[in-house]
Amino acid sequence: MRLKVLPPTLRKNNRYLTVEIKSKLPIVKDDLVSIVWDACIRFQGELNTSNFNLWVMRFYEFENDEDYCSYKAIIRCQRDYVEEVRSSLALVNMHKRERISITTVGLSGTVKASQKYI
Amino acid sequence: MFFDLNIKGNSFENNLKLAIEASKYGWNHINFSYNQDDYSNALEFKNDLIGELNERIALDYTLEIKSNNINEIRKITNKFRSKSSCISVVGGDLKVNRATLENVKIDVLSRPYLRRYDSGINHVLAKEAVNNNVAIELCFRDVLRSYLTHRSKIISNFKDIYTLYRKYGFPLILSSRAESVYDIKTTQDFTAFFKQTGLSDEEIAKSFGDASNILEFNANRSNMILTGVRRIDDAS
Repeated sequence: MRLKVLPPTLRKNNRYLTVEIKSKLPIVKDDLVSIVWDACIRFQGELNTSNFNLWVMRFYEFENDEDYCSYKAIIRCQRDYVEEVRSSLALVNMHKRERISITTVGLSGTVKASQKYI
Repeated sequence: MFFDLNIKGNSFENNLKLAIEASKYGWNHINFSYNQDDYSNALEFKNDLIGELNERIALDYTLEIKSNNINEIRKITNKFRSKSSCISVVGGDLKVNRATLENVKIDVLSRPYLRRYDSGINHVLAKEAVNNNVAIELCFRDVLRSYLTHRSKIISNFKDIYTLYRKYGFPLILSSRAESVYDIKTTQDFTAFFKQTGLSDEEIAKSFGDASNILEFNANRSNMILTGVRRIDDAS
């Protein structure tokens, strides 16, 4: 049985970050999930990360550049913690001993609106 | 306006790639840094690079002096002063930190905390930086490419420098020191990181202003008669 949906005043307010990912190795959505969580826990700690309400909503693969594999994704976080999540993701550096880079290219209030950055 | 005075310069193709990426991520002006040995060679393709970018992003070169010999630093500074829009010295050694901050011809002391257990700056050096208008540069890449305890120590050094910055008000500049496309971030990510380490929005904006002031001051350096006195062109 599903829980009844909370009234709007009790719901969490979310923001959706559109991120651009450059990776030397090919990655899949599950890899990104673990990279995002690992980055936030490393930089902000377990206690702060519990506030972020992180979720990888969408994952898109793009045509590979000659130097790296290119992806974009939409990541959900809680409204008041955007700066914390952004800075944590910006500090992602290595994945499986190969270079990776994540940078936020857009910020929106809905998934639909964040798709304009894809 | 977003200024990055320290992106590591390389070949023409690599610089072009980095400049295009930086313009895509919202940077308005970047400086490629070269050490004293490569600087003259790099000047040869500077105009081609500017032409290729076609005003997409403003760019210039920084001379990055890397030496532990104080006399050598002084000689290189005098040699390149008129040819360079920005001269920075890589810090870390206490003697180098002091000699750099006492030299009015040098613009930037880059990474005074490098390979040290402390920030490399104290109240005496902070006052020298203010008197001689030498900026202190913090690099994002030092945090990006380190991890765990080492990363924590670098951020702790940043915080020590912020404390002195708030008390003495020396010019502080923030730069990425990107070496590849993996190191370049959007301007919002860059400012978000420094905000997390303890700088306020105003302080970050002022740091970009300080970088702009260095370039503007050096563009007019030949017209400077005394500190605060500049010859202006009254024909215009």
